[in-house]
Amino acid sequence: MNKLCLSILLFSNLSLASDGNGENNHISIIMFILFVSVTLFITYWASKRSSTADEFYTAGGNITGLQNGLAISGDFMSAASFLGISGLVYLTGFDGLIYSIGFLIGWPIILLLIAEPLRNLGKYSFADVVSFRLNQRPIRILAACGSLSTVILYLIAQMVGAGKLIEILFGLPYYSAVMIVGGLMILYVTFGGMLATTWVQIIKAILLLFGATIIALLVLFQFNFDLNLFFNEATNIHIKGISILSPGGLISDPVSAVSLGLALMFGTAGLPHILMRFFTVPNAIQARKSVAYATGFIGYFYLLTFIIGFGAIILISNNPAYLDSSKVLIGGNNMAAIHLADAVGGEILLGFISAVAFATILAVVSGLTLAGASAISHDLYANAYLKGKQSEKNEMFISKLATILLGVLTIYLGIIFQNQNVAFMVGLAFAIAASANFPLLLLSIYWKKLTTRGAVIGGSLGLFSAITFVILGPVVWVDIFGNANPIFPYKYPALFSMTITFTTIWVFSSFDKSENGYKEIKKFDSQYFRSQTGIGIDAKTTH
Amino acid sequence: MKKNYNNHFHNLVKLRLKIIRPLLFLTIVPYFCFIGVIAFKPEEFSPFIFDTNISLGIFLGLLLILLIFVITLIYVYLANKFIEPKIGLVRRNE
Repeated sequence: MNKLCLSILLFSNLSLASDGNGENNHISIIMFILFVSVTLFITYWASKRSSTADEFYTAGGNITGLQNGLAISGDFMSAASFLGISGLVYLTGFDGLIYSIGFLIGWPIILLLIAEPLRNLGKYSFADVVSFRLNQRPIRILAACGSLSTVILYLIAQMVGAGKLIEILFGLPYYSAVMIVGGLMILYVTFGGMLATTWVQIIKAILLLFGATIIALLVLFQFNFDLNLFFNEATNIHIKGISILSPGGLISDPVSAVSLGLALMFGTAGLPHILMRFFTVPNAIQARKSVAYATGFIGYFYLLTFIIGFGAIILISNNPAYLDSSKVLIGGNNMAAIHLADAVGGEILLGFISAVAFATILAVVSGLTLAGASAISHDLYANAYLKGKQSEKNEMFISKLATILLGVLTIYLGIIFQNQNVAFMVGLAFAIAASANFPLLLLSIYWKKLTTRGAVIGGSLGLFSAITFVILGPVVWVDIFGNANPIFPYKYPALFSMTITFTTIWVFSSFDKSENGYKEIKKFDSQYFRSQTGIGIDAKTTH
Repeated sequence: MKKNYNNHFHNLVKLRLKIIRPLLFLTIVPYFCFIGVIAFKPEEFSPFIFDTNISLGIFLGLLLILLIFVITLIYVYLANKFIEPKIGLVRRNE
């Protein structure tokens, strides 16, 4: 690990030498190295406490509600949402708020419908819950496909964003940025498992909330905390004037509006790296608390990005120091928060925020990789391939191998997609989560008549249709493949793909008169009892 | 494995539904109303509230963020206060 630290130092010095504007970089690099040293130390500490599968996947289930709430927000608040949403607010004003609310609205759904049954029924992954009374092999394979496609799409988007961001912030070449992120992520997860990942996420969440709070306070301070004056100033300065305070063109037709709304609302409840976090707390009470904490932190964070976006309109959109020759922000609109940090807090705050952005990326990709690795080792290998008859040591080995494989794959994909538009990938990940993972989870917990046949056919169709609609839609078919007209007319597929999933699951489960189907329905009552009460968690379940 | 579905468990499920249903309604309906106004009648969000420079859309949007957090707080409060004792009853009578 020391070697890696050294090579980062080396890389940074190289870039300093080649880049020239060393002064800005200096503080951010010191802060970043501090973060990496602390997290690597934590990883070393956690590595001694990550020897069993339970410790590796769930940190032994000893994380408290508050810690998990922080870790969930650290897992969820990506650099993309920090920089992307503040950039969107900077550009369009009100429309940024639509995304903020969308990313928040999934949390009550998770809390009210999913968190407690998930904790009461599952062990390491959400597939545990879906396959609780259904046929292990097909369900595990399907759930793992849903998990892995969500995780990999999310990872690519994070990685490409990370490479570009670090290129701008630290002057590092894209390739080395992607490799440093990938390398650190592999170290955290393989050696420190869930425990190290959790603490990386907690530290990052605190740093990000702290940094964003400082920027927002410094901005509002200039207006004596008078919101009236603040918005007035912003509308005077922005080219679009007063219209930035009302809906712009982000959502124009009702179908897209509902479709995007559905994907955001139910997609969050189908993100495997988020769901996995609920197995790290000791019981349903703590699971419940952790959602409330997380919602508070994430909601507060989005309030800050909103202030930051408007602050950027006022303080940097007319400042030539932050604009290029065509009057666009240097580095693009997503740099609004970074430039604003410099404008209100000088290079110390700029350095701090840059380091926080880097830390944010690391925390998010680590959580994703761990969720992907558990889908491979726990669902595909241990339960689908070996049917649960393997030694724990073996499963641990496979999960570490899977982590390294996923890490290398992510670095590779990050490089391949360097010059592609990857913005649609997070949207697609949410669509898949809402159309495959979430319906399977929801119906397996609450709908008695769900059978393996219905779940497999409906879940696969949901996964397949979400991907197909996006590929044939305007974002990929027209914008990326360069065709004139989209085959599927809407940008957001969730309304259609979710309808397909729920309808086919309903039809094929209801008409499933097979003996297996009958047995599965009979097992529902005892599963429901356990999901509602948590009684029976400790007893060994035989499936 | 036969679990005894006693009265306590039925009460628990009923109570949980009673708590969850209105909160779910309070989450989904305001959100889709908000999205609906943006899609169908965006101009409704333009006017300023009272005599400030804050538009109705921004005010309601920020209020919605607050509402989402308050919903989670209410649920945690109600669940800890009313649902947990019921689970305890089921556990003791199992």
